Amino acid sequence: MKLTKQEIQFIDNYLIKNEVKYWDVRLELLDHIVSAVEDKMTNEGVSFNEALLEVHHKFGNRIRNGYTYRFDFNKGLFIDNKGFKKFTLKKQKEIRRKHWNTYWRTFLPFVFSFRFLMEFLVLGLFTFIGYQYSIKSGLLVLISGVIISEFTKLFYGGLKKFKSKSLNIQMAVASSLLMTQIPFWIMMLFNYHYEGVESKPYYILFVIFTLLVIMSRHGLNNYISIYRTYKERFALLMS
Amino acid sequence: MSNSKLYKGSLTTIILKLLNEHDKMYGYEITQKVKALTKGELKITEGALYPALHKLEAEGLLDVEVAKVDNRLRKYYKLTETGTKETVNKLEELAEYIKTMQALMNPKLA
Repeated sequence: MKLTKQEIQFIDNYLIKNEVKYWDVRLELLDHIVSAVEDKMTNEGVSFNEALLEVHHKFGNRIRNGYTYRFDFNKGLFIDNKGFKKFTLKKQKEIRRKHWNTYWRTFLPFVFSFRFLMEFLVLGLFTFIGYQYSIKSGLLVLISGVIISEFTKLFYGGLKKFKSKSLNIQMAVASSLLMTQIPFWIMMLFNYHYEGVESKPYYILFVIFTLLVIMSRHGLNNYISIYRTYKERFALLMS
Repeated sequence: MSNSKLYKGSLTTIILKLLNEHDKMYGYEITQKVKALTKGELKITEGALYPALHKLEAEGLLDVEVAKVDNRLRKYYKLTETGTKETVNKLEELAEYIKTMQALMNPKLA
């Protein structure tokens, strides 16, 4: 027995009410729950409500709050969402691992790509021009490479709802604000450590910021790839 | 997994083996296939299946394909090239484990 569009929508709303707010987490749960409910209704002859309650329970959510004489279907579905919370948390952990593994797997091919080398050359040239004015100008130009990459990540694709409601996209952009702060923290530490020293070893900062530029630019590349994948999936969902 | 803790350690091997035999599968299909193959003896719970699938995906052993099916999206899992190689290793490991257990439990048969 196939569920109607309204019944599927009901299950989707029930997941939202159970705090499964990310659509890319919900889509897998929704398909599983719909398949299981359809199966139970067809093979066990149970009603939609009974089947959904059973599946809700199987995900590790409680359906009873103490002893109840009269069982309420609606209450049972919203008494507890521990199972779904656990599901989302575990998924979040694995998404982090997946992004990390992908980042390092694609790192070297990206760094040696023609496009990146050209970009790097241009940034290097501007840094050199800045350096001619003063060391600090050169460093600021180099830092701008990190800032531009991280802010592009944050604002890429605008403020669309599918972006803020996607766990995968949110995880990919999670460290951006931190990354924009790191160069300034390093500068503060450097100044604190070499306070009073006449000729400070600025080359240390140039090396660290160059590494940050490379890492940040690769992070942006990965982010764009994740963004495009989930944009496509969302379009498919809405079609 | 509902039946026994003994099966818990073999969950990833079971998933990899099933995906090796099928081109692609979705979550619910995997639970039903295992239930059917073991005649209901082994039931994979949702709480165990999805973390295992997501872990294998994060490790690069599984790839994901999304398709629209009956007014909803369905996530299909399939083996990557690394996943196919890992399946062979995992199955060998499991066969070795079964052999060792047999030797321990029933020395005459081993």
